[in-house]
Amino acid sequence: MSVFFEQYFDFHIMGEHFWEVFDAFLQNLLIFVVAGIVALAWGLLLAVVRQTPGRKTGVLRFITIAYIDLLRAIPLLVIILIISGGVPFLTFIPKGIRIPEWFGKPDPFWYGVAALVFVYGAYMAEVYRAGIEAVPRGQMEAARSLGMSHLQAMRYIVVPQAVTKIPAPMLNELISLLKDTTLVSFIAFAESTLVSREILAEQLNSSALILTAFFFLVICLPGARLVDFLIRRNQAKVTRGAHIEVG
Amino acid sequence: MAEPMLQLKGIHKRFGNLEVLKGVDLDVAKGEVICILGPSGSGKSTLLRCVNLLEPPEEGEIFLEGRDICKGPGSGTGEQSWNLDYVRQRVGMVFQQFNLFPHKTALQNVSLAPQTVLGRSKAEAEEKGRALLERVGLGDRLGQYPETLSGGQQQRVAIARALAMEPHVMLFDEVTSALDPELVKEVLDTMRELAGEGMTMLVVTHEMGFAKEVGDRVVFMDGGVVVEQGDPKQVLDSPREERTQRFLGLVLER
Ligand SMILES: Nc1ncnc2c1ncn2[C@@H]1O[C@H](COP(=O)(O)OP(=O)(O)OP(=O)(O)O)[C@@H](O)[C@H]1O
Ligand SMILES: [Mg+2]
Repeated sequence: MSVFFEQYFDFHIMGEHFWEVFDAFLQNLLIFVVAGIVALAWGLLLAVVRQTPGRKTGVLRFITIAYIDLLRAIPLLVIILIISGGVPFLTFIPKGIRIPEWFGKPDPFWYGVAALVFVYGAYMAEVYRAGIEAVPRGQMEAARSLGMSHLQAMRYIVVPQAVTKIPAPMLNELISLLKDTTLVSFIAFAESTLVSREILAEQLNSSALILTAFFFLVICLPGARLVDFLIRRNQAKVTRGAHIEVG
Repeated sequence: MAEPMLQLKGIHKRFGNLEVLKGVDLDVAKGEVICILGPSGSGKSTLLRCVNLLEPPEEGEIFLEGRDICKGPGSGTGEQSWNLDYVRQRVGMVFQQFNLFPHKTALQNVSLAPQTVLGRSKAEAEEKGRALLERVGLGDRLGQYPETLSGGQQQRVAIARALAMEPHVMLFDEVTSALDPELVKEVLDTMRELAGEGMTMLVVTHEMGFAKEVGDRVVFMDGGVVVEQGDPKQVLDSPREERTQRFLGLVLER
């Protein structure tokens, strides 16, 4: 049994590499924050375009739906590899964009962010869509009958209500996104998984990986509890609402 | 007849294979109050929704203050933009389920569209909104959210919200049907006042008393056509058509 503990819970190795792994984990958090914010906006844009009415925007709608379906069907790792392994060679793209090194971050960081935004934007678009569809049709009709355009009605009436209906599923997506930042290790970006794998290779010991797991746990576990809480609070609200309607 | 406000000619509307309106003709004079009755599914709501192009008709003509609103670029797609602006700034609508914006206060409900659609300043729109809410008897409820208001109060906010766009015609679709009986009167009173001020109104209702007292004309619809129309007392007390008689018999039995 002591072999097991030495392999996974060697406190000496954990202590020695704690700050190294912690700093690397901060890189995961950084990817998460940047990709998360952009994906939330990109997903909303996709969802709104998807819901536009009329024939004129038919092509745009079709492209959006195809994009959302496609990016959800391809493994994230494959997308990361497709971007990082190809974009640098597309010489028709300006070098500053093709091989980005913005804000002192190396290009793998940005390839990872881009892949996560593309994929999670598609997932989040579906979450937004569920929220938009949960807003009663009468809201859009009332807004339109007051002379608002479809986009104005979306902006002032439908979307503000839609986002209040989806905090739990959106938080789930964000938790997944945080965990999936580890996939950027595949393109040699020094985040926590890559750093602890290097320690594993050097010392043939898994304790640094356990440390990495611990860091994710500290963030994601309360997140999962929060999702649960939001779902239960929402159910309570729905029940209360029903009473108001009936009473 | 006085100046025509609205003329419907041969309006047809289908949902898939279901033909809901089968050629409706209706002339509405300026300032006239028309009460529309008819059994469930006869197309009353659809007719109102055609008038403000929420459901553009497939066939027929609608003249609003002399202009054919069914013609124009992209007509029939529901997105005839210049007509939509023309129509929605002249036609206000109040719904059975109120459809107030739940995330906005009473005052915000009333003052939002004038800002976003008419480009009014916030101060101007809110001043007007305050006056309108005052007028429907809710001057002391400006900051309240819809869920904290009674059904009757919500419906009056909805009326004020429609009036804020300074419409020339108001459409009312069974606006008292979702209300508890004791709250019906306050909404009908508001509508009566509006009629007294000369607003042109199309009112789908089951309130026979209101139709007789306030209506200039009653229109009875069944199966997607206008079966009978005329003076409210004549149509309601001694209807000529058998279908009207049968419907009114059923309503009175209840
Ligand atoms: N958007 C729609 N899609 C498909 N069918 C519809 C739609 N709107 C209305 N209908 C159908 O059209 C018919 C007429 O509906 P409408 O709402 O105009 O009737 P109504 O006279 O207002 O009835 P009620 O008194 O029940 O409100 C009904 O059979 C309804 O199911
Ligand atoms: Mg109806």
